[in-house]
Formats: sequence, structure tokens, C-alpha cells
Amino acid sequence: MYNCKLYFLFLFFTVLLHPIAAQQHYTISGYIRDAKTGEDIIGANVTIKELPGKGSTTNTYGYYSITLPAGQYQISTQYVGYAPQNQQINLNQSQKVDFQLTEQVNELSEVVISSQRKNENITKLEMGAQKLDTKDLKNIPVLFGEKDVLKTIQLLPGIKSAGEGSSGFNVRGGSTDENLILLDEATVYNASHLMGFFSVFNSDAIKDISVYKGNEPALYGGRLSSVLDIKMNDGNDKKFGVSGGIGLISSRLTVEGPIVKDKGSFIISARRTYADLFLALSKDTTINNATLYFYDFNAKANYRIDNKNRIFLSGYFGKDVLGLSNRFGLNWGNSTATIRLNHLFSDRLFSNTSFIFSNYNYKININNGIEMHIISRIQDYSLKQDFQLFAGTNSTLKFGINSIVHNIIPGIITASDTTNLKSLTNKHAWENAVYITHQYKFSDKVSVEYGARLSSFSLLGPGTFYTYDVNGNTTDTATYKKGQYISTYVYLEPRTTLNYILNPQSSIKASYSRNVQNLHLLSNSTSGNPTDLWMPSSNNVKPEIADQISLGYYRNFKDNQYEFFSEIYFKSLKNQIDYKNGAELNFNENVESQLLYGKGRAYGLEVFLKKKYGKLNGWISYTLSRTERKFDQINNGNYYPARQDRTHDISIVGIYELNKRWTLSSTWVYNTGNAVTFPTGKYQVDGKTMFYYSNRNANRMPAYHRLDLGATWIVKKTKNFESSWTFSVYNAYSHENAYMITFRDNKDDPSRTEAVQTTLFRIIPSFSYNFKF
Amino acid sequence: MKTNRIHFIIIVLIICSLSSCEKIINLNLDTSATGIVIVGNVFDHMGPYQVVISKTINFTESNVFPPITGAKVTISDNAGHTNLLTESSPGKYTTSTLKGIPGLTYTLAVETEGKTFTATSTMPNPVNIDRIYIKRSTVGNEKEITVDFKDPENIDNYYRVIEYINDTLKTGINVGNDKLYQGKIIDYSLGSTALDNETPLKTGDRVKVQLECIDKDVFEYFRTSRGNDGQSTSPANPVSNINNGALGYFSACSVREATITVP
Repeated sequence: MYNCKLYFLFLFFTVLLHPIAAQQHYTISGYIRDAKTGEDIIGANVTIKELPGKGSTTNTYGYYSITLPAGQYQISTQYVGYAPQNQQINLNQSQKVDFQLTEQVNELSEVVISSQRKNENITKLEMGAQKLDTKDLKNIPVLFGEKDVLKTIQLLPGIKSAGEGSSGFNVRGGSTDENLILLDEATVYNASHLMGFFSVFNSDAIKDISVYKGNEPALYGGRLSSVLDIKMNDGNDKKFGVSGGIGLISSRLTVEGPIVKDKGSFIISARRTYADLFLALSKDTTINNATLYFYDFNAKANYRIDNKNRIFLSGYFGKDVLGLSNRFGLNWGNSTATIRLNHLFSDRLFSNTSFIFSNYNYKININNGIEMHIISRIQDYSLKQDFQLFAGTNSTLKFGINSIVHNIIPGIITASDTTNLKSLTNKHAWENAVYITHQYKFSDKVSVEYGARLSSFSLLGPGTFYTYDVNGNTTDTATYKKGQYISTYVYLEPRTTLNYILNPQSSIKASYSRNVQNLHLLSNSTSGNPTDLWMPSSNNVKPEIADQISLGYYRNFKDNQYEFFSEIYFKSLKNQIDYKNGAELNFNENVESQLLYGKGRAYGLEVFLKKKYGKLNGWISYTLSRTERKFDQINNGNYYPARQDRTHDISIVGIYELNKRWTLSSTWVYNTGNAVTFPTGKYQVDGKTMFYYSNRNANRMPAYHRLDLGATWIVKKTKNFESSWTFSVYNAYSHENAYMITFRDNKDDPSRTEAVQTTLFRIIPSFSYNFKF
Repeated sequence: MKTNRIHFIIIVLIICSLSSCEKIINLNLDTSATGIVIVGNVFDHMGPYQVVISKTINFTESNVFPPITGAKVTISDNAGHTNLLTESSPGKYTTSTLKGIPGLTYTLAVETEGKTFTATSTMPNPVNIDRIYIKRSTVGNEKEITVDFKDPENIDNYYRVIEYINDTLKTGINVGNDKLYQGKIIDYSLGSTALDNETPLKTGDRVKVQLECIDKDVFEYFRTSRGNDGQSTSPANPVSNINNGALGYFSACSVREATITVP
């Protein structure tokens, strides 16, 4: 507790007692928007010609604020893809200065003047954070030709796919449930469609994507390994527009426009797949009777009430349906709804209040004589209050609170026959956090972001709850009333980053952060089933904790044409969860008795080189890493590689603008196989060959590699209409990557056993037609 | 629940129909110290009963499993009887005087290669097969062998179903408990395939179904045997009711059977 107090004391001194010169100070503030669509621009830089090194960056809502001594200044603003703009200001009173930026066409293919090229990857404070350009999304070919945010971030270092065709991902050795995925501030629990082959994000409507690999700012919390923060477009507030595409597997449509011109806008996006049309062509009666589709629906509206207040309403609804005639059906989906209110208390104090609802559920319908329905869901009701205080040109303070009520319904079973099926006990949890972060620039060379998040998590009644010992035997049973506390955990999560600028071309960054996770996904499969269960921390299950330190060297080459960084990290993990041999995770009231607890560690080196400008651009990323776990009951208590451990991971992305109409792209990925358990022998029981296993995860799947090719042909591009065709080939040289390896007796010669490798995708070509009014 | 397997299978089938493939690969698998495999049963019908003891072999070797000879094997019950088994053929040890009676607890003790392995199993009361018939499946209209039996109320029952087609044992693991069916009639379908698990049964095939009432530990053994072929993400050895690291199981169970000829 001593450290806490010193920490906050230091905070007060630097912020509030910041030496203010005798001169009068005034504030320049305002919004930076896209001139054509009115969309807020997030992360645009605002600089002052007369005071180099001082400036501001627009926040999530496009708002910036700078306080300066009175005087004459030239304010400039810049953001990638837009032409820079300047304004002359006579600062003798606080004033609003808004910018409307116009897109700079062909910025990539022309040689851009070096003064305009940015080195913000050197100067910005964030470390282990990567922003993805939505333009990169459009050009990179992925599975079935569908633009996919989750697949594209897996091309960055430190972020790995959880498996072929899977949307789940592992960041710096963490499991797939350790990623906080936010869509306009609402948590998305299952970000994939169709068992992981597609993600739930319709990339037509995405504005901004940020990925934090463990050292996220204190305003985020709840997951150990990463934050994927996705912001959707707000809608064109100047004129109506329709865009969409028709593809081989799915189609999408977006409609946007003003509610009141320049004051409010809306955007609606929808997407549906029709993979089951192809199944109907199959000769196999099991397959041609199957239903398989998903749909997504995004809707957003916003309105500027006055120049201090703005309200946003957004919602997402998506569903996957899988069925086998009328015998079996499974559907699952997310839905979210958010109300946000921006308010300017003063030109230096920006506030956002959000009310968020998030729901993930699945339903199973079985009809084989007895009709049975199973429903399971997790529901969050959340309140977030965030403040941003632009304290000076060197100092920004962010603080706020977040309160979430989680309702988890693990399984309600209803059946037509009165079989004695008991529904599982519902779980209620209340999560609270308060955070404060200070971004401070000590000097031209040194800037720091430090802060902490104080979080608490409580499991509440009503219900009967059991306590288990290390062997899974029940040692205590207790019944609780509604609202009674069963367990509470309070943790302080410090988050700090330091940036030392060696010269305008290079910098060194270091960071330390602690993350605590209280919702755990119980999963026995690699790609993640939609029926996996989210479980809260309880009297048996402690919160998982990750402490991560990282150090990075950032360097730009050739006048910022090339960006390079290299980072090393080390993570120490506590209270990790694994399962007993033969654990029963599904529909088990006593599922907590099936768990084992241990610790883990992950460390690695990430290297990244990106060419940002020119006809040919792209990047190379390489990760060398290890992630291990240690449980008393597994492998004699020795450290063993986690399933997601992959030694080498390489991604090479190339985008070539042939001419104004054609853009070609390709990606090549390579990774060492996952750690798996293969048999070390065999024996026979009752005539059946059984396989003998020794150490867990002592073997490797074969290495995975794949080349994807893509081409975009812009057919027509006028002021009012754009159309294009995209062609893609997934796995262009048809490498047979191992999805699964199983063992069996040879059919023709049962005296031999063999290993059988299943490949999921060989070469898959695809195309789609896109239009935009 | 079988639902995970069902939808997993659906997805793999769907994707397989699109563009995937299976192929045999050569893997360089590690070898380990040999394990000892003990499989023993005591039934409620007339003996003799058998205990089979063998060793594990390496993956690449031919499926000839070496028997363990010269072991000292005894089975005793909690009513005072002890039977020292004789080795009737290499690795196969048979009882002489032991009688399987529902309600008694049987203890197996095996001494071999300087180690001792023990297991206990309590024989549950028998459950009769009330009816055996052919049910047409809703998907594919196939002839499924189906048995009906009534689950006794007020006790936890565990079942194992064994199928013989034309007197040959069909390998497979069919076990279940009565959690969802306490006191009710269970209608259980064994499927419609022949010994190879793929081709359908032919007219005239004689199918014999044995319904075993097993105890909880033996049920756990078979439950954790599923996914042994590498389909599970963390494959491990089944939880045996024999101690000291032995593979296999010891089951005292009551058996009833019924036969049907495929029309």
C-alpha cells in the first residue's frame, strides 16, 4: 500500500502543480474530421510550428486540446492518407479550431515529401501497440476472399492464429480467451462465425483498429494478453451512400447518411453468408440436408446536440445457425447495444459516459425422440465514465471508472419428456474498476505514461456453491441469498511505459504492466467451440494474473520510408487453469472440481520491418517465442510447452500498385507447428488398439506455411460511383497443412497402425464484386 | 454430451466435402518404457473368468502384443473366497472356483516383474434387455440395432453395451450412465454399421447385444478412453481402476444378452 500512496502523490505534483509561467495561457481545441464524410479522425497529430516537440493527438472522438501562452502560431495537422493542413492562429483568447481534412489520393504511390512523412512510431508513447490501417484490410487477401480484421492482425508479430481457419488468436503465448475484443466499447465474447472460419466484424464499416499486446493503458482491463479495440464508422453526415459487395460465400451491404446534415448521421451494415447453398449440391444425404449460415447486423447513429454535447447509439447483432435436418440444431451469437454521451466540461476536460449491454448465447436443439433444448448465455450490463484532462502541452491525464454486472447462465435445459434434467446454477458477478493514467513529456527526449487500474471482482448469490479440495472432492457446501457475497478479489494493476527518443529516427521504449483476468473460458478444443463456457472467479477459482515487461528499439530508415522495431518481452503468469485427465466440462454443475491450477511463463523476440510508401509496400514480421506452463499434476510438475507454443512465426506481406486500376497483393506465412501429445506406444484392450501417452505436449505438429495471392481491379471510379472486382487465391501452392493428426489401425492391414493427417483447406480461389455510391 | 462431437463432425464433413483431404504420414514418434496392460472381468454367469496381461509396444511395430507370462494372479471376493488363477495360455489367466454374484466386491491382485497391481470392483445387479428391434434412422433410413431396458430407480447405474456381429466382437466403446434417465426406459441404438464401422449391416447378419451393468470406476475408465486416437486436444491415458500405473481395467459386472437377425 505504501507504493500506492507515493504513486498518486507523484501524480498530483506533476499534474496540478505544473509550473505555470507568468504569461497568460489560452486553449486551442476542436475536432478533426474527414471533409467528405464527416467521420472523426482518431489519432491525428496536431503540431505547432513555433513550438516543435509540443502538440496533441485527437482522441477516440476526434477531439484535441492544447494550452499555450498567448501569441501567434501556425497549427498543423496530419494523418496518414490525408493532405496536411495549416491554420494561422492569433492566440489572445481560448478558441475552437476545427479541421476538415481531405483525402490525399495516391499518397502511397507517389514519392511523398520527406517532411510530411511521419515518425510517430518513434515519438508516440504506446508500446507493444499496433494500429492497423483500414486500407491494409482492403488489399490483403484472406480466406474465401472475405476481408477479415482478425485474420489480418495475425500477420503482425506476436499475434498468432489459433489454428487453420480459426478466428481465435494467441497474443504473446496467451490463450484465446485472454484477448479483450471491443466493438465500440462493448465486449464481444465470441468474435468468430462458423467455428472460427470468419470473424464477426464487417470490415466495410470499421474506422479504426488498435491492438495492444499486454501493456495496454489503464483504461482497459479484464484480460491478460491483449486488447483489440475496434471502432466503427459513424456514418457520412454530409450525403447518403450505399456500398456493398457480392461474393462467392457471402454478401454485404452498408447504407449511411446524415440525420441532420453536418450534425448527425447513421450507418447500417449487414452481411449474410450462403455457404449452405453449396452444401445442397453434395451427393451425401447428411450434408445436403444441413443448414449452415450466419448473418451480422451493425447499426449506429449519432447526433451533435450542441457544441459541447454529442450522443451515440450503436448496436450489433449476429447469429450463426448450424443444423442437421431437424434432428440437431445449434445456433449462437452476440448482441451488443451502447449509448454514449460526450460532454465537454471545459475545453480541457473531455468526458464520455457509456451505458453498454453485451450478450453472448448459444442454443442447442435436439430431436431424436425426445425434444430437448439447452440455452446458455453470458450477459453484461456496464457503465463506463471516462475523463480526459488536457493539462498542458506536455501532460494529459485520463481517469475514470467502469462497473460491470455479469450474469452467466451456464445451462438451462428444457425437455419435452420429463427426464430429470437439472439446469445449472446461474452465476452473478460484479466487476468494478477505477483507473488513472498520466501521459507526461519530461523533455524532448523522455516521455512517460504511468498509471494504474484498481479492480475488484465479486461473485454473488443466490445459489448453492461448493468448495473443492485439490483432488476435486467437495469439502464444503453453502447456500447464499440473492446479492450475498461469495468471494471478492481486489487487485492493483500498474501500467507504465517509458519512451526515450535517441534522435528523430530512433527511440527506445520500456514498459511494465500487470493484468488480471476474472472471466475464464473453459475449453477443450483448439479452435474454440461456441459451446465453451465462461466461468467467473469464485471461492475455488482465483483470478489469473500476468506481469509483463518489455523492451523495444524503434528505428525509421530512409526518411521514414521504412519503419522498424524489435521488441523483447517476458511474461509471468499466475493462477493458470488446466483440466484433470478426462475432465467433464459440459453441463457439469461441479465443473470447478475438474480444474487444476498452476503457473506459466512466456517470452520472445518480435521483429518488424514495414515499407510504408511507394508502389511496392508491405511488411515482414518475425516472432521467436516460447510459452510454457507448470502444473504439479502434469508432466511431474516440470515446465512444458503450452499447446499454442510456436517457436518461429513469419509473415511477409507485399502490396503492389500496378497502375491506377490494378493492385496486386500477396501474403506468405510460416510457423512452427503447435505443441501436441503423440503416442509413445500402443496396446490392446478387448480387441481394440489403444494408444499409450507419456508426456504432454512433447511433440510438434508439422510446420505450417501458405501463400495467398490477391488482385483488385477498379472497374469504374467516378465522383458518384465506384466499382471493383477482387480476386483471391488462398493457399496458392496448395500446401497440405495439418489440421489434425489422428491414429488408427490400417484398414487393409490391421496389424499396422498409422498416423493420419487431415488437411482443411487446399487451394481455394474466390472472387467478389464491390460497389459504392 | 455427444453434441460437441456431432457438430465437430458436421464441420469436418462439410469442409472435407469442399476441398480437404486425409493422408497417411510418417511420424518419428518417441518410444517410452513399456507399460503393463491388465484386462480382467468377473461376470454373474457361470465361470471361468479371464484376466489377460500384456505389454505395450512401439507404434511402428506390428500389432502383436507380447503376453506377460508367469504372473501371480488372484481374485478374491468380500465373502471370503479367494481364487488363484492358472495360466491357461500365455498371458491369459483363468479362474476355477470363483463365482460372480451381484452385490459382492471383487479384488484383483497381480504380481509380476517385481511389481504388484490391485483393483477392486463391485458387481451391480443385472438389468434385463426388455426388447431388441430394428429402428429406421431419421437420417438416411438405415437399419439401427436398438435395445430397450428399464433403468432401476434410486441407484446410480452405469452401462456398457457390447455388440457381436456373426459371433465376432465389434470393437468400440459404448458406455453410458443414467443421469438423464433415472427410473425410465432407456431406448439405445447401437448404430447400423457392420464390423468395419462403415458399411451397413446385411440381411441375415446375426447381431448379439450384451448389456453389462458396470460400476462407476469402470465407467470412468471407458469414458476417458474415448478420444484416445488423438482427436482430443490433450490426449492422455484412460483413468484405470487398477493402481500402480497399469493400463486396462478390472470389471465385475452383470450381463444380459439378446440376439436379432437383420431382416
